[in-house]
Amino acid sequence: MNTVFGIETEYGILVEGQDPSDLVKEVIEVVRSCSRPSAHPWDYRGEDPRRDLRGYRVNHLTQNPEDARYEKPQTRPMTVQEERSDRILTNGARLYNDHGHPEYSTPECSTLRELVAHDRAGERIVLECARVRGESGPAVRIFKNNTDHHGMSYGCHENYLFPREMPFEALLLGMMPFLVTRPIFAGAGKVGAEVRSSPVPVFQLSQRADFFTVDASVDTLHQRPIFNTRDEPHADPRQYRRLHMICGDANLSEYATALKVGTTAVVLDLLRTGWSPPFAIRNPVATISALSRDQSWQWHLTLETGKTIRATNLQRVYLDAALDRLDADADTQWVLGEWGTVLAALERDPLVLSDRLDWVAKRSLLEQFLKEEDLDWTASIAPSLDLAYHDLDPENGLFYGLQEMGAMRRIVSDAEIAEAAVSPPMTTRAWLRGNIVRRFPHAVRAVSWSRISLELDEQSIVLDLGAPSLDPSLRDRLEQSEDLSDWAAAIGRTQT
Amino acid sequence: MTANSEDRQRRQMPSEPQRKPGGDDDGPRTPDVPRPSPNDLLKRMKRVDPDQARRYRQRSGQ
Repeated sequence: MNTVFGIETEYGILVEGQDPSDLVKEVIEVVRSCSRPSAHPWDYRGEDPRRDLRGYRVNHLTQNPEDARYEKPQTRPMTVQEERSDRILTNGARLYNDHGHPEYSTPECSTLRELVAHDRAGERIVLECARVRGESGPAVRIFKNNTDHHGMSYGCHENYLFPREMPFEALLLGMMPFLVTRPIFAGAGKVGAEVRSSPVPVFQLSQRADFFTVDASVDTLHQRPIFNTRDEPHADPRQYRRLHMICGDANLSEYATALKVGTTAVVLDLLRTGWSPPFAIRNPVATISALSRDQSWQWHLTLETGKTIRATNLQRVYLDAALDRLDADADTQWVLGEWGTVLAALERDPLVLSDRLDWVAKRSLLEQFLKEEDLDWTASIAPSLDLAYHDLDPENGLFYGLQEMGAMRRIVSDAEIAEAAVSPPMTTRAWLRGNIVRRFPHAVRAVSWSRISLELDEQSIVLDLGAPSLDPSLRDRLEQSEDLSDWAAAIGRTQT
Repeated sequence: MTANSEDRQRRQMPSEPQRKPGGDDDGPRTPDVPRPSPNDLLKRMKRVDPDQARRYRQRSGQ
């Protein structure tokens, strides 16, 4: 795969007796409870989420007016650094408070296996912080999901590095049909709905589908788009775009994470060959919602031409083009094989995928319980069971229960996850970031995705970490060095 | 080959990550939880507080 990718997950948090007004303060405490070796603060210079891929910069980002209800006047206003409370870890990841959610951003990865291990390492690290916080404060529970079932959503964003030269329109037209139909295998499942409709669906494929109102925009907090146009590459903007995909659900299943990110990376590779899909979807926003709510699991949708097509067949057009046009490296081979298998199973009997896809696993488990208890999907406990699927506590979480039973297919071992919690990927600049944090924590003054500010010999220097892919010769040269001067000289892009 | 037999023939996820041997931090341990049975999982579901979703209120995120 010709990309570097990562996942940012905003976790849900439940503290008994505290309402959303208190969550920012509580999340700050959770993040600051991180007892792992780390550096801070984050360097926010140069970040600009208002820049749009379409070549302009908006004056402001839309805020959710509902959030204003929860704002409390602060006795002392906090700086951005205080409020975010970033922690940069030895594995190159970033942990911080984002709008009242603990957010874990994986380091930049270059293989699916690395990415899955780092995504799951994030679950353990956030849970560990919550437990440390609970030793001196209230008990904190953490959920890896995307909705509070009361109309508030929070994201799990994927990031893909992509060449700047592809025209935006080609990218948007190429990605949109794929993204609208991707929840048939990447959805995490949801009981009920948060946007009124008739009939109310009993169980949806997607946690997020209720929350999209436009096809494409730079906003993320309100009036969310299917395709986010934020242009913040965190790398040389003349060479790269970072595709910031906000429409996906947070997956607990390792297989679903690998398939979600893997198929998306394959589609991006496909578009780079000059291929474009021979169709466009009529009304993508209505379609992503309708597919999520389709209780028949037939997933028919209407194209701009007026023709209808099943979502599985639309996905298969992408798959067939990828099989024709891509030279398959190992990850691509895995994705192409599993993609075809899953599409066939979705058409034949989706329930056979209960060991791989989150929405199927959750649906099967909850249905079995409701049946045994002589209840139906309207039972008041159903949303609570949905929430329990996403609980990260291994003794209470339903996904974790399935995994411990051996009912969920694994991609990585627990040992790989443990290793990913402390060590960065070897193939990206995260290796530089993580190792500088590990080896020279007292010299670090500020960190960002692309730069590290250091104090060296009583001088302030800034190291530019360079392209997201790491030159292996640079790693070989620095692997054994514990001298920061060597690192500054080798990285060789020093600003003062 | 049928899709069923394809299902059983699990493809190996490639590319073991390159790792630095012998890191100086042990990292988190696998949670020490006994492997549950299906009955244990149903018991776990019966323990779920039916009211927890009502109390679960979040700030809007991205």
